[in-house]
Amino acid sequence: MSRVRMTQITALVLRAVAGGYHYGFDVMERCDLPSGTVYPALRRLERAGMLKSRWEEALDAHADGRPRRRTYELTPAGRDALPEAERKLAEVRRVLGALPPAPTGEA
Amino acid sequence: MGGPDLWVRLTSLLVPGDRRDDWIEEWRGELAASGGTMADAWGALADAWYLRMEGWTMDAIVRDLRAAVRSLVRKPFFTALAGVTLAVGIGANTAIFSVVDGVLINPLPFPDSHLMVSYNFEAPGLGVSVPVIPHSEGTYLHYLENATSIESLALFSDGSVNLVTDEEPRRLSARVVTEKYFDAIGLRPFLGRGFLEGEDRLGAEPVAVLGYGLWEESFGKDPSVVGRLVEMDGVQRRVVGVMGDFSFLDADLWIPMAIDDAEPELGSLSFIGVARLVEGVDVEAANTEMQGLLMRFSEAHPEELGAEIIEQAGLAADVKPLKELFVQDVRPVLWVLLGTVGFVLLIACANVANLFLVRAESRQREQAVRTALGASRGDVMRQYLSEALALAVGAGVLGLGLAAVGVRGLLELAPADLPQALSIGIDGSVLAFTAVISLASGVLFGLFPVLGYGRRDLSNVLKEGGRASTTGRERHRARSSLVVSQVALALVLLVGSGLMLKSFVALRGVDPGFESEGVLTFRVGPPDAEYPEPTQVLDVYRRLADRLTEQPGVQSVGMIDGLPLSGAKSAGAMEPEERPYPEGELGPIVERRSVTPGYFETMRIPLAEGRPLEWSDQGDQHRGVVISEALAQAFWPGQSALGRMIRNQGAEFSWEVVGVAADVRFDDVADEPLPMAYFPVVAGPPERLTGPSFMDVAIRVGGDPLGAVAGAREALRAVDPRLPIINPRTVESIVNDSMASTSFTVLLLGIAAGIALLLGTVGIYGVISYIVSRRTQEIGVRMALGAPAATVLRAVVGQGMALTGIGVGLGLLGAWGVSRVLASLLYGVTATDPVIFAGTAALLTLVALLATWIPARRASRVDPVEALRTQ
Repeated sequence: MSRVRMTQITALVLRAVAGGYHYGFDVMERCDLPSGTVYPALRRLERAGMLKSRWEEALDAHADGRPRRRTYELTPAGRDALPEAERKLAEVRRVLGALPPAPTGEA
Repeated sequence: MGGPDLWVRLTSLLVPGDRRDDWIEEWRGELAASGGTMADAWGALADAWYLRMEGWTMDAIVRDLRAAVRSLVRKPFFTALAGVTLAVGIGANTAIFSVVDGVLINPLPFPDSHLMVSYNFEAPGLGVSVPVIPHSEGTYLHYLENATSIESLALFSDGSVNLVTDEEPRRLSARVVTEKYFDAIGLRPFLGRGFLEGEDRLGAEPVAVLGYGLWEESFGKDPSVVGRLVEMDGVQRRVVGVMGDFSFLDADLWIPMAIDDAEPELGSLSFIGVARLVEGVDVEAANTEMQGLLMRFSEAHPEELGAEIIEQAGLAADVKPLKELFVQDVRPVLWVLLGTVGFVLLIACANVANLFLVRAESRQREQAVRTALGASRGDVMRQYLSEALALAVGAGVLGLGLAAVGVRGLLELAPADLPQALSIGIDGSVLAFTAVISLASGVLFGLFPVLGYGRRDLSNVLKEGGRASTTGRERHRARSSLVVSQVALALVLLVGSGLMLKSFVALRGVDPGFESEGVLTFRVGPPDAEYPEPTQVLDVYRRLADRLTEQPGVQSVGMIDGLPLSGAKSAGAMEPEERPYPEGELGPIVERRSVTPGYFETMRIPLAEGRPLEWSDQGDQHRGVVISEALAQAFWPGQSALGRMIRNQGAEFSWEVVGVAADVRFDDVADEPLPMAYFPVVAGPPERLTGPSFMDVAIRVGGDPLGAVAGAREALRAVDPRLPIINPRTVESIVNDSMASTSFTVLLLGIAAGIALLLGTVGIYGVISYIVSRRTQEIGVRMALGAPAATVLRAVVGQGMALTGIGVGLGLLGAWGVSRVLASLLYGVTATDPVIFAGTAALLTLVALLATWIPARRASRVDPVEALRTQ
């Protein structure tokens, strides 16, 4: 089980899963990030043991007339990492807030 | 199946096999649930790539490499064999690439060299082999005034001056240039100045710019030399500048031309033009302008350069990147050599791949156990690749060392006219090249044992005790294809080197028309300033000839202003007096030389009729001339030329043919003899009385020509102690140098083909021995059942020969296709010479037969009992 570096992306993805978004594409929508960013982050978090994935019940899926989907859930380790993720995001917010507004065309 | 679905399927190929199905299903599920657009699906690639690379963290790579090195060290023989094989291939490639890079790829070492052009003419109609047709003073002034697409037009030609100091007189190479020369090359003297406007005109004060080397050697780096007068060729020249230490400026000093503004020389095309393109103008545009200006020049000077002559000679503007001027002769040789060593590397890779295959085979059990313990296919692959890469990197380093030595050797052997020999070496781009070919070859042979690995059922391997199962056939095919390609590649190289060798032999067999053995030569140039009268110059030559003839061991002495094959050139159109060519029609271009009596005797050029020139032919208004058989045939086919009168086309003064000499190959041994005319040194009309500015003295001696140098020096000193003896060497060395580029190519191709043959042989031997060792048991059974040894022998040899046969067939096809690349380098042999093709194929087959014979004999002596016991 390897350590994962807590980046803005992994923090966002981890928080989204914690917030009840269990499918990869839902996490994408929640975080407003492209699939090519979200999926590697999910893989990293799973590899680090913070997430666990499994197939949903095929019957549930068939009832809705669609193929089954893979769901991601937090592990205890993932729950422990949540405060770190929040710290990371707070830091990002602080840095962004301290930035002067983007220059307009004239500047 | 829509676009996104197809995309997922495609990218899934990157995902490790054990996770692939799950992965596809996951992406399909998400795409189905979300209405899957292509925008959503793009990320599958990033995801797949992530999974593919997951195991390749830095830690894992270091771990793999360490394991790889350990495993290589544990098998020192295997490692050394594979490593050295590869290092030879990589080293050869690096060495040749560094030459290609230095000569063909690197820009010229001048500032903004991409703007520099060769600004000259071409004249294919003349049939003379020169890189360009240069300028005369007249065309120079014309273009200087009118051309707008270029700036800093400058002319140069190479001459020499005698520098008189307190010590020995020295002969210096002097580049004679026009005023803007330093602007054209973009370099300025670091002390003093370059040439000023008007300094290249007749009547200006004689000045000179010294080269750094000369400044160092002869003036002890004294900065106060600028402004001083120095005596050169009897003229006091003021030193106005000193150039920086640029080793690529191969001149001792620079002196300006002396153009007569009022009456510029129009017809003598002997100065090469260089210029810089005006920013934004391309070569084509400059060429178009130059062509237009040529027509205007012709209209203004119809008598020197009329439209008919231009048309007949095919004279046209020839603007091209300056680099072309230097590299056009060596380019085909270098690409051929690079291709050759590329083949050698491929053969080396095939050999090493073979070694790896054999090793992989013997490690099947190990891998099966690893897999059983949970190693993934990717892990096993990584292990093989790491070993291959570790080996390749080691071989690359070793190869680089070999290349460093090799480059030095190459430069020793390289023809002297290899341009920019000084800038050749191991530099950044060469290192990058080596790194790339090392890694590429590592991947190439490292992947071989990996291919098809996944398709194997490992439990079978464990059950069978490591013996080949169904997959043995696959491996066998891989190995066979390696042998076949080795044989094919080796044959292509053998054919190439065979063709070059046959060319070389043909070249050596050509009779140049003179006997070079036993002749010493040196150049001597009495300066005009010290010998203003032609009779004085003639007197120097005559006294020198007398002195030399008195030396012990000297058989005869003759002089000519430029020996055959030494690169000298001085040609012009001639005509018979009784049948002058109509205006505008060009007579044959005749190579014109001045000779002293004794020249034909010394060079052993037989006379077909008449007599050689005598000292009595020399002098005012004398008109005796000797012409070559080719010229006599051109003017008076089937008749005697004696007593006929010939003249330079359009000239008043005619010469009387007193003798006809056998033809001599003058420009190049490979070229047909040129028509020639041999004039007395000082004779004829007043304008020809100045005589040549130098003579090449040829001395035929009994023993070793170089042993006569001291005596020659002494003789020259007795005539005039201020005259240096220039470049003493044997005439034989001139002949050899003229073939240098062919012999260089022959040597290198020969070495490459030798290595290829050796590696190919080792490859065949290795594979056949391996097959025999794997089949020992089977052979044992057969022999126990009564198969005679001869049958076994035949079977094994047959197997090797079958592979060789396919390889030879493919190789012949390949050689047939590739050898035409060599065509421009060949002489006296066609690119598809059947003797060479058949001979090399037979040689290779014979060597392959030997290589299979040894393991085959071992197989036929298998003791059935032993063989069965090895189970």
